[in-house]
Amino acid sequence: MINAMPVPPSPSPGLRIEGLSRRLGERTLLADLNLEVGPGECLALLGPSGCGKTTTLRLLAGLDAASAGRILLDGDDISRLSAGDRRVAMVFQSYALYPHLSVADNLALGLRIRGMAAREREERIMAVLELLQLVELRLRRPAQLSGGQRQRVALARALLRQPRLVLLDEPMSNLDAQLREELRPELRRLLCGGSQPVVYVTHDQQEAMGMADRIAVLREGRLQQIGSARELYEKPANRFVAAFLGRPAINLLPAEGQRQLGLRPEHLVPVETGGLAARLQQREWWGHQQLLWLESARGDLRMLVAADQPLPETLEVSWRPEHELWFDSHSGERLAAS
Amino acid sequence: MKGFPMNTSLVNTLLMLPALLLLAIVFAWPLLDSAWLSTQASSVLTGLAPTANGGANWQRLLGDARFWQDAAGTLRFAVVSVGLELVLGLAMALVLHRPGRGRGWLRALALLPWALPSTVLALGWRWIYNDPYGPLNSLLKLFGAPAYGFLTTPATTWLFTVLADVWKTTPFVALLLLAGLQSIPAELEESLVLEGASPSQILRRLTLPLLRPWISLALMFRLAQALGVFELVQVLTRGGPAGSTESLALYAYLNAMRFLDFGYSATLVVATFLLLLLLTAMGWLLLRRRPLEISR
Repeated sequence: MINAMPVPPSPSPGLRIEGLSRRLGERTLLADLNLEVGPGECLALLGPSGCGKTTTLRLLAGLDAASAGRILLDGDDISRLSAGDRRVAMVFQSYALYPHLSVADNLALGLRIRGMAAREREERIMAVLELLQLVELRLRRPAQLSGGQRQRVALARALLRQPRLVLLDEPMSNLDAQLREELRPELRRLLCGGSQPVVYVTHDQQEAMGMADRIAVLREGRLQQIGSARELYEKPANRFVAAFLGRPAINLLPAEGQRQLGLRPEHLVPVETGGLAARLQQREWWGHQQLLWLESARGDLRMLVAADQPLPETLEVSWRPEHELWFDSHSGERLAAS
Repeated sequence: MKGFPMNTSLVNTLLMLPALLLLAIVFAWPLLDSAWLSTQASSVLTGLAPTANGGANWQRLLGDARFWQDAAGTLRFAVVSVGLELVLGLAMALVLHRPGRGRGWLRALALLPWALPSTVLALGWRWIYNDPYGPLNSLLKLFGAPAYGFLTTPATTWLFTVLADVWKTTPFVALLLLAGLQSIPAELEESLVLEGASPSQILRRLTLPLLRPWISLALMFRLAQALGVFELVQVLTRGGPAGSTESLALYAYLNAMRFLDFGYSATLVVATFLLLLLLTAMGWLLLRRRPLEISR
């Protein structure tokens, strides 16, 4: 056997995006995006619809043309490569399974196009079918599969390609909530921790927090903040990030000096005296917790408390100073704690 | 208010009745009437009164060289022109499907030939082919070529009749196939692009298989129309020269309107219908879904 030549470490492994922009006429769909995703890292692009997350994904795949910027994969500039030459796999929101082909042929088509020999092709397909427990379904057509099974086929097709970068566009949005929760660890196991970076687009903050190592929050084509779920939750860069992450959403109270005070519902506690006086308006009992809708002199509040907490009609509410998040009421930027 | 307590299958039948009745009146009745008439002698010889003559009309049909020649000619015309229309219509649909400015206008423009009445169109073509004054001959003259009688020999007349038909009905095929193309989600193509597929591979591996139901629909429609071709040959060539472009429909028309032999004309109509039925059934069988492509 010949020993493999020692491979020099690649200059900067993983995905690096530099100044990526896309403009369409007057509209800016993505403005000057800069970020890095390490090998095996899963980055979630999170934001409401129209924030530029799918645009970013399509630019990475090469399906749309960038107006400016570079995309580096393991140090190689792939921005000029055609979509077919990038070795990027994408799982579409609709899964994009070829309806006229069986599961096995859905997987085989890409390899056939690349001219892979039948023997190797079938070995690889079988391996991936086994990995995703699709062996028994291999002769079915997409129309004969459930939503979860279709997603697994789409995933299998993406992994089969041995891509340098995996892109997922809302891969769970067509599944029901329970299945989504069940599939998250499996998806993480299959996708993350390999050698390739993973970019995962979602509008669901819980999914982003559950799936990704880091989250990039986008709004109107601009990156708001990038960091771990915990960093984003505890130290949001601005009001938008604070409101987008965390459910029930953060309370924002007007404060003196052009400021707003952000308080998370779970950080509010009822106290005997010395708190903010509030009246109970409504209550949602969730089993493990209850959400209270309160009315106070400083505005309406959502408060999350234990399910068995007895509650009078009027109460006083307090919080710890370290849980206060202060925002500039004009720019929305977070201010240093006062 | 809750739903009406009604027998839904009865309601369904009742709701379909007007449409069925209409079909019966405009389709089934004339057909049955023709079938009956094909067993009758009804010509100037009988004073146009139908008189049963057993299978004499059908016997005559089997031995009628003109019928067989017309049937072969009509079939050849239909197969060649529908074949050309499918290929050109697909190309046109692919072009019209591409995103771009002014696509709406282009589509409207492309449909124009189809929107023109066949008779008007045939008159137009007759003028275009006119020897020696038509535009085509003016064009030839411009290049110093002698005037050419486009509609003088059987071979060229047939060819230019096919061209006129292709010109008119290709947009119809294109429109049908365009609808088919638009029903294919864009992600399917994008997914193949990411797999490294070339445009021709996308066409062969994805677009054509998914377009197959639409192609067979266009084929059925066009085949039925082309086998019944009448106005075009009547106006453009009158079946000439020497009967070389006479279609079955034209022969049936001549029997009824010129030879006043309604019995035989009805026989021809029924025979044409049976031929059409046979061909469309064959086409349908051919284009039915193939079994799964299985890779082991």
